[in-house]
Amino acid sequence: MRNYTKLTPEGARDLLFEECRALGEAKARLVRLFTRRGYREAMTPGLEYYDMFSLPGAAIPQQQMYKSTDSAGRLLVFRPDSTLPMARMAAARLRNHARPIRLYYSQSVYRSWPALSGRSHENPQMGVELLGAAGLRADLEVICTAAEALRAVTEDFRVELGHAGFFRLLAGRLSISPDQREEIRATIEAKNYGALDELLQPLGHSPEAEAIRRLPRLFGGEEVLSQAEGWGLDGSAAQTLEYLRSLYTALKDLGLGSRLMVDLGLVQRNDYYTGVVFSGYVREQGRPILTGGRYDGLCGQFGPAMPAAGFAVDMQAAAGLIQGQLPPEEASQVLVHGEPGFEMKAQQELIRLTEQGLACESSVWDSLEEARAYAEQAGIPRLLAVGESVREIQPGEEERP
Amino acid sequence: MRPLRIALTKGRLEKSTAELMGRAGLDCSALRDKGRKLILPVGNMEAVLAKAGDVITYLEHGVCDLGVVGKDVIMERGGQFFEILDLRFGKCGFALAAPAGTDFYQGYQIKTIATKYPKVARRFFQSKDMDVRVIKIEGSVELAPLLGLADGIVDLVETGATLRENGLEVVERVADVSARLIVNAASMKWRKKEIEELAERLERELG
Repeated sequence: MRNYTKLTPEGARDLLFEECRALGEAKARLVRLFTRRGYREAMTPGLEYYDMFSLPGAAIPQQQMYKSTDSAGRLLVFRPDSTLPMARMAAARLRNHARPIRLYYSQSVYRSWPALSGRSHENPQMGVELLGAAGLRADLEVICTAAEALRAVTEDFRVELGHAGFFRLLAGRLSISPDQREEIRATIEAKNYGALDELLQPLGHSPEAEAIRRLPRLFGGEEVLSQAEGWGLDGSAAQTLEYLRSLYTALKDLGLGSRLMVDLGLVQRNDYYTGVVFSGYVREQGRPILTGGRYDGLCGQFGPAMPAAGFAVDMQAAAGLIQGQLPPEEASQVLVHGEPGFEMKAQQELIRLTEQGLACESSVWDSLEEARAYAEQAGIPRLLAVGESVREIQPGEEERP
Repeated sequence: MRPLRIALTKGRLEKSTAELMGRAGLDCSALRDKGRKLILPVGNMEAVLAKAGDVITYLEHGVCDLGVVGKDVIMERGGQFFEILDLRFGKCGFALAAPAGTDFYQGYQIKTIATKYPKVARRFFQSKDMDVRVIKIEGSVELAPLLGLADGIVDLVETGATLRENGLEVVERVADVSARLIVNAASMKWRKKEIEELAERLERELG
């Protein structure tokens, strides 16, 4: 045990000074944004029962969850995701609350990544959940809020739209086993064009098979939608495309045009998403900084069914984007030194000055000489000596005997 | 914007990649005559030479946009990235091998498998609903069954000559392996045009 007394566990780390400031500033910007858009803060516990995160469709890989047990031996996890607990809480406690329910949160999630991969296991996240509202307006609200959240930390970002139901619909019309389906899904996810061709070959020709074959290449700008629309799909698949098109048009009108992307090949496995899904990308980040989507089936697992959508922002990455741009920290203007017997008077003087808005430090030194040396070294321009009276010490002034 | 950065697996794959890129009209002279430099200009890209596993690591962290790596490493190491092109060189395969003349699948005893690729081996037997004991060996895996440590091995097999020399034979093919062009997911989104152009140029040369 002794060997670990001076270290933090893998994937966890200390934050110092400017890192804290950047994280605090990023959080403050998003709090401002979310509250002004009518979202109210909610917190869920850091510990939850394992069962909730292993629900079908809600599954997070078991090996990614940090686990513990409570005193009764029940399996607990350190919150690996915030959307599930928010849905649980809303279903249980906000059953009779006026709809829609607008929640925002700022809390960390914990995931155990493979050893030595360099990934953070403790990740501060902020996000919103819009519960009890479905349809275009609700989706637009969530995506616009997401775009504004990105804009709060950088001008250089992209928002990518996809639809969780599109692949499901297409695959549902092919006569394939669940195993085959999963194989096909995995090759689309990895954009493994060659392997996908091989898997689809024996299935013969149909508009659906053809559409699936092209799915992994279907990402980019608006032309992606036009291409897919040209496939002659019918029914729900066509409706899904139509819906994405209306979302895209609306967001373009908002001025997001050049920042919008579409990926019809977004086919995550362990997903509670049922409708539109979206990700936010920024430069020089190998992973999306924001992910979200519509999850209409989730609340029903905990109580009355309720449509819902939301997103989460990786706050460590968001903080990294603004760290270099923050104005320098306010330096101390005054060092207040209490002469022997006047320590409390010095504190009173310091309180008076800080209330005026001056950044001050109290001297912890016994002699004025030491205090002066410290002020000089720390670059504090003014030094006040508090005794019977309060007097300003000029540089070079000799200490009174 | 910085040039596209591609990580190449050092050694045999690097040479085949340079040859392919050369045929596709990219200037690979820096790759042939690299001296001690670690980052080399290739066409209008930057190339980095790395060990196979590191190719994926650099790519996943987004410090390299593209990579050339064997499917064997992808299968063993896993990861989240796009695998957009089979480069069709560096071909070989994973196989399950056992002492010649024995029936590997016979009997109810738990089998012991020696391998350099524990994840590949485990996944293979999982797909057969078979419980096996997997032991990781770093060097010549063929030795383990000879010494009586393992009932079989899962290893890369090219011609099968090493197996034969050691009295082993292939029981079953596990997977085909060749070099792949892989791409970081975010790079693919930001720089789709450049990346697709490169992939198309290379694919054209593959015939």
